[in-house]
Amino acid sequence: MTLKISRLLSVFGSTVAATVLLAGCVSTGSAVQAAKDGPDASGPLILQSRFTDAEKGGIEELVKNFNAKGEGTVKLNSIPTDTFNTQLPSYLTSKNPPDVYTWYAGQATRDFADQKLLLDLSSVWAKNTNEFPGALHTLSKDSSGSEVFVPTGYYWWGMYYFKSDFEKLGVTPPKTWDEFLTVAAKIKSQGVNPFTMGLSDNAWLASAWFDYLDVRINGGDFHLKLLAGKKSYDSPEVRKVFAAFKQVLPDFDPAILGTSHNQAVSDFSQGKSAMYLLGAWAQPSVPADKRDDLAFFQFPIVDPSVPIAEEAPTDGLIASAKTDKPKLVKRFLAYVATAEAQTQLAKGQQGTALPANLNATLTLDPLSTQGQAMLKSAKQITQFYNRDAGDAQQTPADTAMTSFIAHPENLDQILKDWDAAAKKIRATS
Amino acid sequence: MTGTTLERDRRRVSSPPPSVAFEPRRRGMRIPPPIVLALVLVPFLVEAVGVFWPAFQGVALSFLHWNGIGPARNVGVQNFVDLFSDPIFITALKNTAIWIVLFGGISFLAGLGVAMLFQSERRGVGIYRTALFLPIVFSLVVTALIWGTFFQPNGVLNNALDAVGLHSWTRVWLGDSNTALYVVIVAALWREIGYVMVLFIAGLKALDPSVQEAARVDGATTWQRFWHVTFPQMRSVNLVVLSVLIIDSLRSFDIVWAMTKGGPYHSTELLSTYMFSTAFETHALGYASAIAVVIFILAIAVIVSYLVRALSEEKES
Repeated sequence: MTLKISRLLSVFGSTVAATVLLAGCVSTGSAVQAAKDGPDASGPLILQSRFTDAEKGGIEELVKNFNAKGEGTVKLNSIPTDTFNTQLPSYLTSKNPPDVYTWYAGQATRDFADQKLLLDLSSVWAKNTNEFPGALHTLSKDSSGSEVFVPTGYYWWGMYYFKSDFEKLGVTPPKTWDEFLTVAAKIKSQGVNPFTMGLSDNAWLASAWFDYLDVRINGGDFHLKLLAGKKSYDSPEVRKVFAAFKQVLPDFDPAILGTSHNQAVSDFSQGKSAMYLLGAWAQPSVPADKRDDLAFFQFPIVDPSVPIAEEAPTDGLIASAKTDKPKLVKRFLAYVATAEAQTQLAKGQQGTALPANLNATLTLDPLSTQGQAMLKSAKQITQFYNRDAGDAQQTPADTAMTSFIAHPENLDQILKDWDAAAKKIRATS
Repeated sequence: MTGTTLERDRRRVSSPPPSVAFEPRRRGMRIPPPIVLALVLVPFLVEAVGVFWPAFQGVALSFLHWNGIGPARNVGVQNFVDLFSDPIFITALKNTAIWIVLFGGISFLAGLGVAMLFQSERRGVGIYRTALFLPIVFSLVVTALIWGTFFQPNGVLNNALDAVGLHSWTRVWLGDSNTALYVVIVAALWREIGYVMVLFIAGLKALDPSVQEAARVDGATTWQRFWHVTFPQMRSVNLVVLSVLIIDSLRSFDIVWAMTKGGPYHSTELLSTYMFSTAFETHALGYASAIAVVIFILAIAVIVSYLVRALSEEKES
């Protein structure tokens, strides 16, 4: 018996020892090969898409129209968003990756570009640079300045409410922070929760409040530096953000930490909560008969001396550097960049996105018109927390925001932990 | 064929130990025929490629800092050192311990209790057994959905508490760090108890009723019959149940992920969920592998001790 135990132990021990010795041999290097010259390989181009059934109408139409042109075949692969997001690094580092992917502009794309995993798309951009806003052009570049991203559309974030509810409650959309607090107080006094959020399954929604308060109080420049790791979360500036957030905290539905996003939208649609800070993507989740009643206002101005920045997350396409059909990829992406293709794409998205191409002709609905005007008047554009800071930073941000909501008195510890966690992720990943 | 002939047949078949027939050949140490070699080697190769190699790579990864796309850096045991100053890891470790004690302990006791209650073949007992076993046919994600609706802020539980005038007892069950973990354990227990009950009923059925009968004749009370007669005879079943429960506790992931994703603010984080979110949300693959190694060591400790005991029992018999 003892013989058996010691044999087991020695087998286990030697396995561990061998593993330690071989730790360096794991295939973690991303052997990057340059895009091949010469003719493309045969077969269709694979477009890997994260759009859900409700959203994929536009991109299906786009692929159909390109295939009808006879310049090559594109095959669309739709994958659930969560799976897509976690799998993308594996796709891009695999030996024979799919060719083109839907993705987010900004740091999220730059993370891959800096590892030389993305195809250089400067030839696509050379043809139609002036059809896109300058800000979107800058967003589409990697750290060395070459284009790796083709934007298809962008959207806005706003404080959503129902016009009929506001009328009933006797309030009008506020413009400044003080007006905002007054409106919230008036709503609360009538037994309605001024704000809601569904954080039990979508904790990241709380980052919208952080982003907006930070750009309104400290400005877009500070915000982007903070998210890029050049400023500390444990700083007087960030404390000001949380001080403002604390002012509105009692005005939230007290159950937000245990409420799902769907439940929160349902509470909001039924008038149990009056306002919900959301991106345009959420509009279709409001019941169809309440859609016309839905409205939004710009996040209130806290400090008028701070230049106005707005969140405008940009979506688009990237291509793998390892594609064996670079010519077809570029033909397809050049088509995607055209005003015609972007018009069609935006039409299929139920008014929740604005086409990136300036020449796209589209009759905008009232909310889209308002969103477009709001973004045009902004002095600076940010993306969203995870797109500006990098996806890996979202978890510590969620932890900080949700623990502050539950225990605002622990702010010192929360900020210390957030700063440490953000630094650790930068160091270990 | 009547019952008695069946019984006799079985006895006849089991009487000569089958190993005797092969004894001389084993001494000769001849090379086994190719079909035997193939039957051993093919599964071994599949296992090696599909299980051992990835597991081995996982351990190797735990000595690196790697985000999955960039170049990896070898950092030695730094990941393991960092683990023990990481408050979230400590929380996850503590929650895993709570999970083993409460989920494992209650499943064991309740499973044994209902098995004792429903072991005898009485009219209608099948209905109760089926009812208890039914939750196991639901996937854990579905279980999580059902219980999530039950515990949501305006869900069944809070409404029921309101209706009986216990408004002060209502909580945001899944959003309160004081209750969330226990709520998830309740949901997991709902499913596990039926499973453990089936294991125990199988064990109880295998016991010789004449021993019980003898104890009863000797005047042993119900509790004495259970504690001194039934329970000691069930040693091997208890061991299986304990191992199953500890391994189930360590690999519990789906129900927590589906109900809370480890939140609010990591208060329901288990080692498994923390490993997952570290690997696939913060993309720290080396650090996540270090957590996986800790889970592996905890699990292997249980499995090895189980194997050692199982082997020693086999030897005794």
